[in-house]
Amino acid sequence: MSPVNQFVFILIGLCILLCILGLLKKGVLSVKYSLLWLLCGCGLLLVAVFPYIVYVIRDLFDMVMPSNVVFMIMFGFVLLLLLSHSVAVTELSHKSKRQTQSIALLEKRVRDLEQQLQNQTDKK
Amino acid sequence: MKHSDVLVIIPCYNEEANIQRVVQRLMDTCPDVDYLVVNDCSTDRSEEILRKNHFNHVTLPVNLGIGGGVQTGYRYARDNGYKIAVQMDGDGQHSPEYLEKVIAPVRSGELDQCIGSRFLEKEGFQSSPLRRFGIQFLSALIRLLSGVKVYDVTSGFRATGPELTAFFADNYAADYPEPEAILAATLSGFKVGEAPVIMQERLGGVSSIRSFKSAYYMIKVSLSLIINRLSIHKKGGFRA
Repeated sequence: MSPVNQFVFILIGLCILLCILGLLKKGVLSVKYSLLWLLCGCGLLLVAVFPYIVYVIRDLFDMVMPSNVVFMIMFGFVLLLLLSHSVAVTELSHKSKRQTQSIALLEKRVRDLEQQLQNQTDKK
Repeated sequence: MKHSDVLVIIPCYNEEANIQRVVQRLMDTCPDVDYLVVNDCSTDRSEEILRKNHFNHVTLPVNLGIGGGVQTGYRYARDNGYKIAVQMDGDGQHSPEYLEKVIAPVRSGELDQCIGSRFLEKEGFQSSPLRRFGIQFLSALIRLLSGVKVYDVTSGFRATGPELTAFFADNYAADYPEPEAILAATLSGFKVGEAPVIMQERLGGVSSIRSFKSAYYMIKVSLSLIINRLSIHKKGGFRA
């Protein structure tokens, strides 16, 4: 890897981390969901600064191209992120279900009370 | 406005063709039970009909599907202290004449959930052969997973006692809940059984299990049944 290459990768890693921190600061992204992204950004930066890590992993897994190691790790991260999103969606849909039910039951109570009030005023 | 200790929950999704007749028939046949129509955000004139006739109903602001809709009814039953909650479809398949028959085992404390079954005496509307095969498969699967033999696992005509109603108010499957509810109740230590009823073909509209023909329904239900069985350690001992 040429020094220019390495410089660009470090820049990209920093950009990603800064983006995530920026989103966190603005409150657009919650800390809960940012952990995986931060981990991803840190990992990227780490590899950019010490490319030697990739070669070690390549030898560990007996792979031919170091780039494949990078792709594999990236893909693993993407899968993990997607899975975490599915978990989040499930949780949210459960919550929204409970809320929908509560709203419907409350709406009925309001309607019934209005009816009662109406009947009372009619009697008077 | 509670008159009785029995609440009939009628899920309703786009049932403008049936809902008036179904509720009217229930009120005529069983004037001494309360009912609640759960309008699952219908896109047709159902809401208008419910309001015009002053039927007791709740309307969900977004569509939740049959499971979420029925669960709303169970929550209502629990919050208002009903002893027995009965589910009955809004399409006219279930005759209110059999209501007492389905309620009886629950009232006597013999069962926590009693399912109105069209297969016990094999009379009336029996569904298509393919559907019957699917139901038999699910029935066998539930027996394998829980040891309880229920024939009509997809029947939406079922009565539940107070404890199980409270349980369902907090835990109820979302999409195709009928078979799953049986397993969840059994695994949590509730007694589930059946009573013979005669069902009719639906008066109009389309069934909630439209996709029943597709293998998707079977795979999804089977999978959720198996998952449900695997998580028994968490749920077990609810009643211990």
